[in-house]
Amino acid sequence: MGRFINAQTVILLGCSLFVLYLAGIPLVMLLYGSVRSAPIGEPGAAYTIQNYIKAYFDREFYLLFWNSIKYALGTCLVSFAIGTFLAWVNERTNTPFKKLFLVMALIPFIIPGILSTIAWILLLSPKIGLINLVVKNALGLESAPFNIYSMGGMIWAEAIHLYPLVFLLMSASFRNMDTSLEEAALTAGSSTFTTLRRVTLPLMRPAMFGVLLVMFVRGIEAFEVPALVGVPAKISVFTTKIFLAIHQFPSDFGLAGAYAVTLLIISGAGVLIYQRVTKRTERFATVTGKGYRPRVIDLGPWKWVTCFIAFLIFLLAVIMPVFILLWSSFIPFYGIPSRELLAKVTLANYHYVLTYPLALTAFKNSFLLSVGSATLVMLLTSVIAWITVKSKIPGGVFLDNLAFIPIAMPGIVLGVSLIWVYLTLPIPIYGTIWVLLLAYITKFMPYGIRSSSATMIQINKELEEASMTSGGTWFQTFRKIILPLLMPGFVAGWIYISIISLRELSTSILLYSYNSTVLSIMAFDLWEGGQYTYVCALGVLMVLLLVAMAVVARKLGARIGIAE
Amino acid sequence: MAEKNFMVRIQNLEKFFGEDRERVHVLKGVSLDIPEGSLYTFLGPSGCGKTTTLRCVAGLERPDIGSISIGGKTVFSAAERVYVPTNRRPIGMVFQSYAIWPHMTVFENVAYPLTIQHVNKADIKKRVGEVLKIVGLQGLEDRPAPKLSGGQQQRVAFARALVNEPKVMLLDEPLSNLDAKLREQMRFEIKALQRRVNITTIYVTHDQGEALAISDQIAVMHAGKLIEVGNPHQLYSRPKRRFTATFLGLTNLIPGKVVELGGDSKPGRLETSKGVFAFIPAAGLHAGGAAVLSIRPEHIEVMKQKPQVSENVLEGTVKEAIFMGDAYHCQIAVGDTLLRVHTHPFLTMNPGDKVYLHLDPQSCNGLPAEDTEGMDESALGA
Ligand SMILES: Nc1ncnc2c1ncn2[C@@H]1O[C@H](COP(=O)(O)OP(=O)(O)O)[C@@H](O)[C@H]1O
Ligand SMILES: [Mg+2]
Repeated sequence: MGRFINAQTVILLGCSLFVLYLAGIPLVMLLYGSVRSAPIGEPGAAYTIQNYIKAYFDREFYLLFWNSIKYALGTCLVSFAIGTFLAWVNERTNTPFKKLFLVMALIPFIIPGILSTIAWILLLSPKIGLINLVVKNALGLESAPFNIYSMGGMIWAEAIHLYPLVFLLMSASFRNMDTSLEEAALTAGSSTFTTLRRVTLPLMRPAMFGVLLVMFVRGIEAFEVPALVGVPAKISVFTTKIFLAIHQFPSDFGLAGAYAVTLLIISGAGVLIYQRVTKRTERFATVTGKGYRPRVIDLGPWKWVTCFIAFLIFLLAVIMPVFILLWSSFIPFYGIPSRELLAKVTLANYHYVLTYPLALTAFKNSFLLSVGSATLVMLLTSVIAWITVKSKIPGGVFLDNLAFIPIAMPGIVLGVSLIWVYLTLPIPIYGTIWVLLLAYITKFMPYGIRSSSATMIQINKELEEASMTSGGTWFQTFRKIILPLLMPGFVAGWIYISIISLRELSTSILLYSYNSTVLSIMAFDLWEGGQYTYVCALGVLMVLLLVAMAVVARKLGARIGIAE
Repeated sequence: MAEKNFMVRIQNLEKFFGEDRERVHVLKGVSLDIPEGSLYTFLGPSGCGKTTTLRCVAGLERPDIGSISIGGKTVFSAAERVYVPTNRRPIGMVFQSYAIWPHMTVFENVAYPLTIQHVNKADIKKRVGEVLKIVGLQGLEDRPAPKLSGGQQQRVAFARALVNEPKVMLLDEPLSNLDAKLREQMRFEIKALQRRVNITTIYVTHDQGEALAISDQIAVMHAGKLIEVGNPHQLYSRPKRRFTATFLGLTNLIPGKVVELGGDSKPGRLETSKGVFAFIPAAGLHAGGAAVLSIRPEHIEVMKQKPQVSENVLEGTVKEAIFMGDAYHCQIAVGDTLLRVHTHPFLTMNPGDKVYLHLDPQSCNGLPAEDTEGMDESALGA
């Protein structure tokens, strides 16, 4: 009996405390750090509100605030328009080539943010941008028609990177919609477009609002585009301001903390409202139930128009960025495609990247961090989901919310708070790969808990009880019944987390050291050094690694558990 | 019966669900003794607490008050703070959904209780082979669980419950997910299977036909309380409680007042609005007290001519007669009361016919007019 109790309580209590530690400590330390006059350990540190005064009484702060909001709103609206249009075309219309669209829509998702940013710089830079040069030549213009180094350019680059998320979320809500409500409107004599306006859109409104909030939060916490485009263009937002406060010499941790708290409050508010909104829509969704085959609208000849627009989007969002990355990765020096350059195609960039002194370390670290954080997050959240969904242990809801907190923490803010945590606590991992691992686990825990809970809910309670009545202990039941049954969700979550951790930049950039360099940092450094062709080669390798990992995970998952 | 012959003893079980204002009292003091080797059924309308009681025996729910012992060993006692977790109770369980693990083959499902105890491979193989043979699934060892039919899944669930020779087998509505034909057939199979392996079995069902067909003993439950225990015969032909009479099969109820209780071989006499009837009184009645006469439709004899005897004879008019093949099911109006009567198919019955009814005194059960408190008429009239 003793052993039974122990294995269970040790695991359950251990996981709960770990989540509390991961989610709680950074918050506390961030607030603490923002009211200290000097970093921990330095003599003479005292409590102060000087950091906030310095931040808020700077005229630049309000410019910063305004820029951040403009940037986030713009990103949110543009990505929403693209993603929703594609989701609607794909789920609800008879537009030709739908299957192809599904694949195309998700490709930008697998391209790390830093790479898509670089791709857009290479396409839209006034000096070297491919599109600019082509259009200029074709129309005989004096100057470049587009400029990536502007608010509009930044919004465009970010929105193209983020729209796959809108596509996924909106597809889900189109799919869950009870189309009999629409059919009722049609039979009542209203036309297809009146129905869309009067019935479909109002029904989708809560879901749409939720998605808009998510995209706003994503926009406000974005780092890659503001860092690579915004900094040279002198357009600052919160994330880059925090980054610069720490990267200047000497670092101003206190000021970074004050900015970070402000940013945290904005994104936290967004997440809170989002949760309120979706709680209601989820309830709505369960009432109508799933398994609907959504009614497909026959667009008639218009289907060629939607098809054309979709292809145009893919040309811009997928084909051109992928092309420019591939092209640049095979040429010896950066230049626009031409016959002369084509003759010089070479693998030298790949060779350089692979023999770069830090390359091996970066590949190894990124791979280990990606696999490690994805595995640990999914195991941890599987246990947490069991507690919150299956057990009658009190405090389950609290634990669920706790694991979800980091979603409101922009990567750069998490980085700042973890600096405080590990400069303060006597845990000697600052500057090692371990601090990155903890950071990734914290950051991606919310995605894990979402995926694990959703799958856990679908597991019939009796499957677990049958193991208990067969004599299985809690641990045996968890390992032999629950985990295998969770496997489809586990693998899906694992793939997602391993992808986003492999491309993580905004947290890593504050926490890495020479020995704990990761691929995204290496790409950032190469870019800063002006070595464009090398960055592109590295990017292509990263994407290949991601695809390989996803394929292997699916294969393994199918072997261990039930195939979907 | 000596105490050691009871395999499962449940004493004064109480269970609440929910908290504070939403707290519901689901089991209200259930006590049961289940003899070793018997097939014991919990029968009652849905929501009466059968599954909860069964889950308490399995340890899947913790009662709030009371105690449970299995094979003489206390597995739960609220007073002594004993709670043996489910996996340490000598039980096997078949769930309503069968709960066959979809990520395992038939063999792996059935072998699971042995595998987790690290029994050696050869023994597992042998034992699993034996039980699969008992349930008639030999040859299907390697079939993935999702590829099984409903009936096969159920057999796998049985095999898994039997494989490590539990002292008690718990079955929660095991037939409710099968289609009607298969259900009929599986009744016999379960009964035969239980006889063969001779394991004490608790069987939960809301289907009275199933309960009558299969059980050695039936515990009738209603609204969280135990109403009556007996073998199918006793409960059907000599119920002691009004709820039992109405829930098991069809019956006619005529309220009245006890004139005399009778004794030994002499029937009692009950005065009703339809006259005075000779009847067999149940325990708990007393002369002058209220009672209700219960007689089953097939125990009422219908005659076209006035019979010689005058005791327990009524005059009525056929209101409705439905030909069922093996009988006519009639509704016969006696004054303002409608009686349900099943007659022999040779006796042609037409609406409007004048008939005489003879209520065999041996089949007239006088029952307490009211069962326990908390029972409403709508539940009784089912
Ligand atoms: N986990 C639970 N939480 C709250 N109420 C429950 C729970 N399980 C059962 N009940 C309630 O207890 C009563 C008895 O349920 P149950 O034992 O399943 O009845 P049945 O006789 O149909 O098997 C029902 O009213 C049911 O709604
Ligand atoms: Mg039940």
